[in-house]
Amino acid sequence: MGSIPPGGAWKLLSGVRAGQTQVDHPQLDDVAYWSHPIDIHFATKGLQGWPKLHVQVWHQDAFGRSELYGYGFCHVPSSPGFHLLECVTWRPLGSWQEELSQLFVGGGPQLLNSDLIYTGADRYRLQTQAMGVVHLQLGVLLRNFDRYGVAC
Amino acid sequence: AASAPDITGGRQSSPPPPPVDPGRDLRPIPPPDSEPEVVILAMGFPVAGLPPVPSTSSTSFAEFSMRERMREKLKAARDEEGHLVKDKEEDDLFIIDQTARDFLVVKPADYESYSERVQREREILFTPSILTVSALQKMPENMQPRYLEDEGLYAGERPTVSLANQNIMENRILRQEKGKMWFGDDGKILALPNPIKQSSTRPPIFSLEEGIGPELETLYRKAVKMMHANQYIVGSGDPRGPFQLDVDISGLIFTHHSCFSREHVLAAKLAQLYDQYLARKPKNHTKLLTDKLHALRNAVQCILDIRGSDVPNPVANQSITEYKLEIRQTRRLRDAEQEKDRMLLKTIVKAWKEMKSLRDFQKFTNTPMKLYLRKEEVDQRSDEKEYEAEIQAEINELLEEYRKDYEKKMEQYRIELQEWKSWRKAQVCKKKKKPSQLQEEEAAEELEHADEPVKPIPPLMTDRLEVEQQVREKASNIRRKPGEAVLIPELSLTGNITPNELCPRAEVSRREDVKKRSVFLKVLFNAKEVSRTITRQISSDFRVHFGQIFNLQIVNWPESLKLQIYETVGLGSPNLLAEVFIPIPETTVLTGRAPIEEIEFSSNQRVRLDHEGVGSDVPFSFEADGSNKMTLMTSGKVSTTVSWAVDLTGVPLIPPASQQNPVSKTNIGLTDMKKLAKWAAEARLDPNDPSNAALMHLIMVATSGEVSVPDFFRLEQLQQEFNFVSDEELNRSKRFRLLELRNREVAEFRNYKQVPLHEREISEKLFQDYEERLRERNAIDTKDHLDAHRALVAKYLQKVRESVINRLGVFCFLFKLAEPKRPLKPRRKERKKVTAQNLSDGDIKLLVNVIRAYDIPVRKPALSKLQQPSRSSRSFNEMFAASPSPQSPTHSIDWAFNQVLVRPFVQVSFQRTVCQTTTAEGPNPNWNEELELPFRAPNGDYSTTSLQSVKDEVFINVFDEVFYDVLEDDRERGSGGIHTRVEKHWLGSVRIPFTTIYFQARIDGTFKIDIPPVLLGYSKEKNLANERAYDSVRNLSEGSYITVFITIEPQLIPGEPVREKFDTQEDEKLLQAAEKYQAECRLKFPNRGCQTTVIDINGKTVFITRYMKPLNPPQELLSVHANNLQATTELVARYVALIPFLPDSVSFAGICDLWSTSDQFLDLLAGDEEEHAVLLCNYFLAMGKKAWLIIGNAIPEGPTAYVLMWEQNQYVIWNPSSGRFYGQFDTFCPLQSVGCLISSDNIWFNIQQYDSPARITFDVSKSKLWKPFFSRGLPFPGLSSIQPEELIYQRVDKIAALELQDRIEKILKEKIMEWRPRHLTRWNRYCTSTLRQFLPLLEQNRGKDIEEDHQAELQKQLGDYRVSGFPIHMPFSEVTSLIEAVYSTGVHNTEVSNIEFALAVYIHAYPKNVLSVWIYVASLVRTR
Repeated sequence: MGSIPPGGAWKLLSGVRAGQTQVDHPQLDDVAYWSHPIDIHFATKGLQGWPKLHVQVWHQDAFGRSELYGYGFCHVPSSPGFHLLECVTWRPLGSWQEELSQLFVGGGPQLLNSDLIYTGADRYRLQTQAMGVVHLQLGVLLRNFDRYGVAC
Repeated sequence: AASAPDITGGRQSSPPPPPVDPGRDLRPIPPPDSEPEVVILAMGFPVAGLPPVPSTSSTSFAEFSMRERMREKLKAARDEEGHLVKDKEEDDLFIIDQTARDFLVVKPADYESYSERVQREREILFTPSILTVSALQKMPENMQPRYLEDEGLYAGERPTVSLANQNIMENRILRQEKGKMWFGDDGKILALPNPIKQSSTRPPIFSLEEGIGPELETLYRKAVKMMHANQYIVGSGDPRGPFQLDVDISGLIFTHHSCFSREHVLAAKLAQLYDQYLARKPKNHTKLLTDKLHALRNAVQCILDIRGSDVPNPVANQSITEYKLEIRQTRRLRDAEQEKDRMLLKTIVKAWKEMKSLRDFQKFTNTPMKLYLRKEEVDQRSDEKEYEAEIQAEINELLEEYRKDYEKKMEQYRIELQEWKSWRKAQVCKKKKKPSQLQEEEAAEELEHADEPVKPIPPLMTDRLEVEQQVREKASNIRRKPGEAVLIPELSLTGNITPNELCPRAEVSRREDVKKRSVFLKVLFNAKEVSRTITRQISSDFRVHFGQIFNLQIVNWPESLKLQIYETVGLGSPNLLAEVFIPIPETTVLTGRAPIEEIEFSSNQRVRLDHEGVGSDVPFSFEADGSNKMTLMTSGKVSTTVSWAVDLTGVPLIPPASQQNPVSKTNIGLTDMKKLAKWAAEARLDPNDPSNAALMHLIMVATSGEVSVPDFFRLEQLQQEFNFVSDEELNRSKRFRLLELRNREVAEFRNYKQVPLHEREISEKLFQDYEERLRERNAIDTKDHLDAHRALVAKYLQKVRESVINRLGVFCFLFKLAEPKRPLKPRRKERKKVTAQNLSDGDIKLLVNVIRAYDIPVRKPALSKLQQPSRSSRSFNEMFAASPSPQSPTHSIDWAFNQVLVRPFVQVSFQRTVCQTTTAEGPNPNWNEELELPFRAPNGDYSTTSLQSVKDEVFINVFDEVFYDVLEDDRERGSGGIHTRVEKHWLGSVRIPFTTIYFQARIDGTFKIDIPPVLLGYSKEKNLANERAYDSVRNLSEGSYITVFITIEPQLIPGEPVREKFDTQEDEKLLQAAEKYQAECRLKFPNRGCQTTVIDINGKTVFITRYMKPLNPPQELLSVHANNLQATTELVARYVALIPFLPDSVSFAGICDLWSTSDQFLDLLAGDEEEHAVLLCNYFLAMGKKAWLIIGNAIPEGPTAYVLMWEQNQYVIWNPSSGRFYGQFDTFCPLQSVGCLISSDNIWFNIQQYDSPARITFDVSKSKLWKPFFSRGLPFPGLSSIQPEELIYQRVDKIAALELQDRIEKILKEKIMEWRPRHLTRWNRYCTSTLRQFLPLLEQNRGKDIEEDHQAELQKQLGDYRVSGFPIHMPFSEVTSLIEAVYSTGVHNTEVSNIEFALAVYIHAYPKNVLSVWIYVASLVRTR
């Protein structure tokens, strides 16, 4: 599941900002393949708020219940062309009671406001756990950036 | 030696490993300056092959020479035996020769003694001393060290360095070149202040148990089932559950109430005053200000004392003036406060006295209020002294002030006097100069005199006595007299209330009235009542205690919170006294910490009571004579607390801040900047102190003037500055707009393929439609409708549609889901069906197979004189009789055979594409041709919803092809060539809406051609048909018929109607029964339509029989043919048919079939078959006929509703939307199958073997043939009708109709001219007026039977013209359809040069604004 948070100068022309992949059941490897297409078109009047990709990884357990498995974000590359991105994810740690109940009954602590994933400098104060890497393949097309003196 | 390398070289290819001595490894590597190469060369060994040779230094000469000799010997031997080459020998020799001793040498370890090394190092290294350097050494010559700190300047704290290190450093630096530059003025090494931060940079690790910032909070969520997965889509925001607002209503106090007695009024006043007193008391301004005054006076005295001697000190003088100014201000303030205190006390005492006298007067007590005045005795003497001192001090000060004032004024006076004197002198001089004045000049002088300065009056010195008197007077007014006891009022509620028995009757009744009254409060959240308090009686002291807490669980940030105070008297209904708006608490106000607030309210209701109560808004007086009246309103105070609740974990349940008013977020720290600067200036902060630097900088910025503190808060800093383009420019981009609109799936752009890459390639026109639609969303263009009412209706329909769509949003969504998305597993079908996806323009074709036609009108000879076979209208019997009455042939036989009667061809037009068949001959032509028309969906959108809303119609027009000779002269004929002109004459048309084809998939049948009632130049060729007996049956039905087969290629799958549960008010049982009934019916005959419930215009399910109810037709229609019942019936049917037809599937595309009631239908003036049928059936019922609603299938409509009528022992089937009727056995009856019959009290389902109307019996009493819904098992529960009691018809507005008629005529004429851009369009006025006269006649006869008269008439009047034309008749809905109809006839498509046109419009208005439009179009060609 991922989204592109709205940035100041950026205007969405087409495509959807947020979406959800299907559930993959990795059987061969420790890798889940989603192959989820992202197709989004922006127009911008400035560089502030360069689009970021914000991902939330969810896990579906044997009972079909879903729980949070990680937050992460990465910037959309600023150079045109094909990019392989690696978006590291993390999830917040709870108190030991919460960790314990997570171990047995699932669920887990979630951020109250998910904005924190990509904003705010206070993130370092969270206690987190690393949760794997989301691989993204992005093709970026830029247009008219050179006209405004942006070298890409 | 030269050959030696060769040999050794050859041997070196496999050299024996040199014997390794373990001791050799330990040998120090020879220093690089050793020369092994030299040795090697000397020995004649190649470098590479040799082990390193020990340094030469220790090799003894003897050894060397011996080895040398050995080698020489060896060499000699080798030389000798060189040719014999015995390797073995040589090897042996070599090994023996080279022993370890030859290469190794044992040496002692190298060692450099410590002292040596120190010695050597001392030459290079410098060790600074650790002794302190004297200050003189560090300073430049002839300079004294200067200590900034001693001079009072700030010198920062130096970082701590140990003294030894410091000394070493200093010593070292001093040895350096220009070393003294490192020292400051104070002889110490220059150093920055201690750089070590007070706080540690590494953030502390917070343990989770301790508080984390609210933004970092996490919440433990349980794992959830995927069912609610869509709620986790990022961005939708996690709903944090309900938020809670606690409203605590503790009580209510009336400060005035209509039931207040006079005493109560006074008591309330007293209480209020006492409250004021209590509020003032703790502040005690008087005391505070008096103290301040004393302090100031002391300060002045002090300065004066210090000065003592007469040395003038400007600083002291300055401060004295300042102090004096302060004293004056303080005194003024203190006097004011004292006065207020005094006044308050006085009024309290006065009120109490009034109350006492009132109690004495009325001889009973109503309130427990009692005022005690506690006296505090004071020491008479000291008090007097103090008082006197105070007065004296004040007098002195005043005197001084006055003196100063006087001096100032005196000064001014002197100046003024001086001025005046000089002026005076000048005047005298002037007069002297001109002793004799002229008259005029005198006048001028007068004027001058007017502004001559007045002689200034010297100011008066104020008298001391006068001042004293003033001061004393004031003091006695506002101050306690010396020695007078200090009065402290105390209000208590300990008084006794006189019991009822001792009170006069008026008072008793007042008390009883109070007892009857009770109060409750309603809590209104966002103007909706959410809860109310219990009803509490008003106590005798007019206080009500509630003490209730209401927890409001809310979702959004509240808009308003209001309390309504209701009062009930006895058992009466509650009366709203007042409303109190409660401010919505700040987010910081949480339950448990919020203070109780008293909110005042008042009401302006006038209450006059007949007992002791003073009432509200009623003047009353305390005086006996009724003077000094006062009017009081009911008022009071509600004490409440509103606060945000806190949940168990201590999280406040406050809605997200984004919804709050942004105003509440002003930066408080910044607004006080000015104050801060002031404070900094006063506190004399050291501006050099770096710990103040931040503050100083801030103040500097704030006070530098231009930089004003913004009162807003910027979210995206510097966004504006870095923008490439402005917002407007970004929004102006057409390309972006197009992309966005396409993405939003706006109808006009939904399937827009390939947005151009460049801005310039997008034309402005693209948005025109869209913008127009936006503009007219609310105001539908009245031009299109020409009729205010219809414009209104269109608007209304749009609104209904929007609301229905909104309500049924889920439904539509389901509908979309129902569309097969990926046809991966196609089912086998008889023909390729195509779903809406993956289609583009040109993929879909409409196939029209025109097979044959019957009874096409035939031409008439241009000047044939016609007899008038006048016919009266026939009865039903006559019309359905098996054999028609024979008519005598009217035409001569030879005419019939001489000329081809008619050469018809069919033209099919759809979406302005026109195809035509070949020309056939005769009135019963047979074409059997397939025409192919392309289909284009709107905006290239082939989704189901879009296709359903296609409003286009297929026009099947029948034309006659006529050849005319263009040659005027017979003589030219011989010269060869064919000179004929082809003209086509419109004969009639059939219209089939696309939606019908779409839903039916195919249309196969024989349709009646809509032939205009009058076709100039043509007549129905009856006579010939009559002669042929086998054809006679067909002749029964008047009119011409055409057989066509229409389908779509490839076949489109219409969206399947999804059954959805709607809101309903019907009984659950009934609905279940209906469902069961329907299921049973469908099981037996899946193809027969059966309807039990329908959806009304409000989106509710309604049982179908509720629609059937006798309803009165317009009286005007009934009175036209008062004695001819059949004519009346036909007229009524015609009226119904005149109501425009608008299929629901068009207006409510993709939603469902909505049934409106008859009054709604008549108001909307639009509806589809059901509405027409229901209305017609209801009219028939009202006319006393037996009538049923038929649900069945018809062509071309498909599933539809007809009306069945029992009349004169036979069943008549009425088509409600055309107004035509058919007998049960009529072959050309469009009704193909009958599903069920509906009356006002039952539904019958057709369970006969056949469903064609001709093959079934309509006798519903036979339960073998008709399955009833209500039977003995389920009796009719007497469902009430949802139809109105009576239909109300407006009068016919003839003037409006006339106006409309003119406008339409004008528009149509303009259109025809527009369609003929290359030709001149002439209008024949004479013909037009003639035609106009005929139209009302046509309306009167409903288009029947006047053909011949009309024809003759026209012929007579326009003898010189060849006229071809016809009237078109339509119900009026909008002008475009009229234009379309005229266009489809192709009247304008004539190339004849001398053609003239005639066009007349007639509108006949029926009640309820139902309009019948007649358009007569004709083209005329002059024959002579």
